[in-house]
Amino acid sequence: MRRRGVGAGAIAKKKLAEARYKDRGTEIAADQLAQMSKQLETFQKHLEEFATKHKDDIRRNAEFRRQFQEMCAAVGVDPLASGKGFWSEMLGIGDFYYELGVQIVEVCLATKPRNGGLIMLDELRERIAGKSRARQDVSNDDLLRAIKKLKVLGSGFTAIPVGGGRYLVQSVPGELNMDHTTVLQLAEGSGFVSESSIVSKLRWEKERAQRVLDHMVKEGLAWVDDQATEGRQYWFPALFPDPAG
Amino acid sequence: MAEFQWPWQYNFPPFFTIQPNKDTQAKQLEAWCLLVLSYCRHRRQYSLDVTDAQDSPLFHNQKIGRKLPLEAVYTVLEELRKKGNIEWTDPKKRNRCLIMWRTPEEWGKIIYQWVTSNGMNNTVCTTYELVNGDDTSNQEFHGMESWLLTRALQTLQIERKAELMGSEGVKFF
Repeated sequence: MRRRGVGAGAIAKKKLAEARYKDRGTEIAADQLAQMSKQLETFQKHLEEFATKHKDDIRRNAEFRRQFQEMCAAVGVDPLASGKGFWSEMLGIGDFYYELGVQIVEVCLATKPRNGGLIMLDELRERIAGKSRARQDVSNDDLLRAIKKLKVLGSGFTAIPVGGGRYLVQSVPGELNMDHTTVLQLAEGSGFVSESSIVSKLRWEKERAQRVLDHMVKEGLAWVDDQATEGRQYWFPALFPDPAG
Repeated sequence: MAEFQWPWQYNFPPFFTIQPNKDTQAKQLEAWCLLVLSYCRHRRQYSLDVTDAQDSPLFHNQKIGRKLPLEAVYTVLEELRKKGNIEWTDPKKRNRCLIMWRTPEEWGKIIYQWVTSNGMNNTVCTTYELVNGDDTSNQEFHGMESWLLTRALQTLQIERKAELMGSEGVKFF
């Protein structure tokens, strides 16, 4: 039974057809086209068989999951692309990331009173792992994929890189622009910044630095500390560890 | 006494600066109110001297070198007063206040629950043995100061669950 669809084989075939008609100078022989198309379809079929065979491994093992995702991406397959079809129905991969997305939203909502809607990816992962035994092996890679999906659904979710492979997850709609994220990246090591440290390290004008800091305070992302010897410091709860959980 | 569990805010330097953002400030004050009450409850402390408190670990975290300014201490205590958890013994000077981490009504309920579960209805006991006797050594109201005990028993009296007998005795129904 032939499946109509969005698999790699169908896409490749279409592209080849387009290329053929577009560029008359490049004539792709009919049999070459047929061969390539068949190879891709075979590959996809093997991928599906592989996935079925290793369904449990995919659910339970984060590293396996990551490599599987990369394999899929290499042939233009996105297991999370649609709610229907082989991937989500047979494997429940869609379910896995959907459920993870729900848990991400829950944790972000629960911690928002403290951090204003900004949370370190590591902290998010620890909190989710703490919620259930099934979530022990959730990786940062898993979370980033789930967050990407959430973003596509139109929520306010975004993952902001802050250097060293670390991320801040933003869950509130208020857009953080480049200046804001740069300041967050600067603050990430120590958990705080001051106007003078921004000016000296980023070489910005005072007004620009102050604008960003005022915005962070206004959004509830930063608290002020007036007892530091070097002048007012701005601390981010999102960057401040809370071991109590 | 087990070690007191400080909330995350206690080690967060900005916690000791009153916040300019109103929403953040509201969260901050709420956290301070909670901290003051749980700290006093942990130490079974029924009164607070403002000057002493300012230098105590409650308002002064030596480890991070931050201290809640006196004006802010009064802001926090005023919040607690509005909620009914503290009462100034000298409202004009505000040097000292009484602390009720539980309201007298809540205390009344707890005491009466203990009385009932120990089959002491329709008996008389002294206020001394109630809060200082061996029988109550594991109760939260053990060691309670008499001013608070009196108020707690008065709430029970209104409900006809107890009757104060002079200043040293009480009958439970």
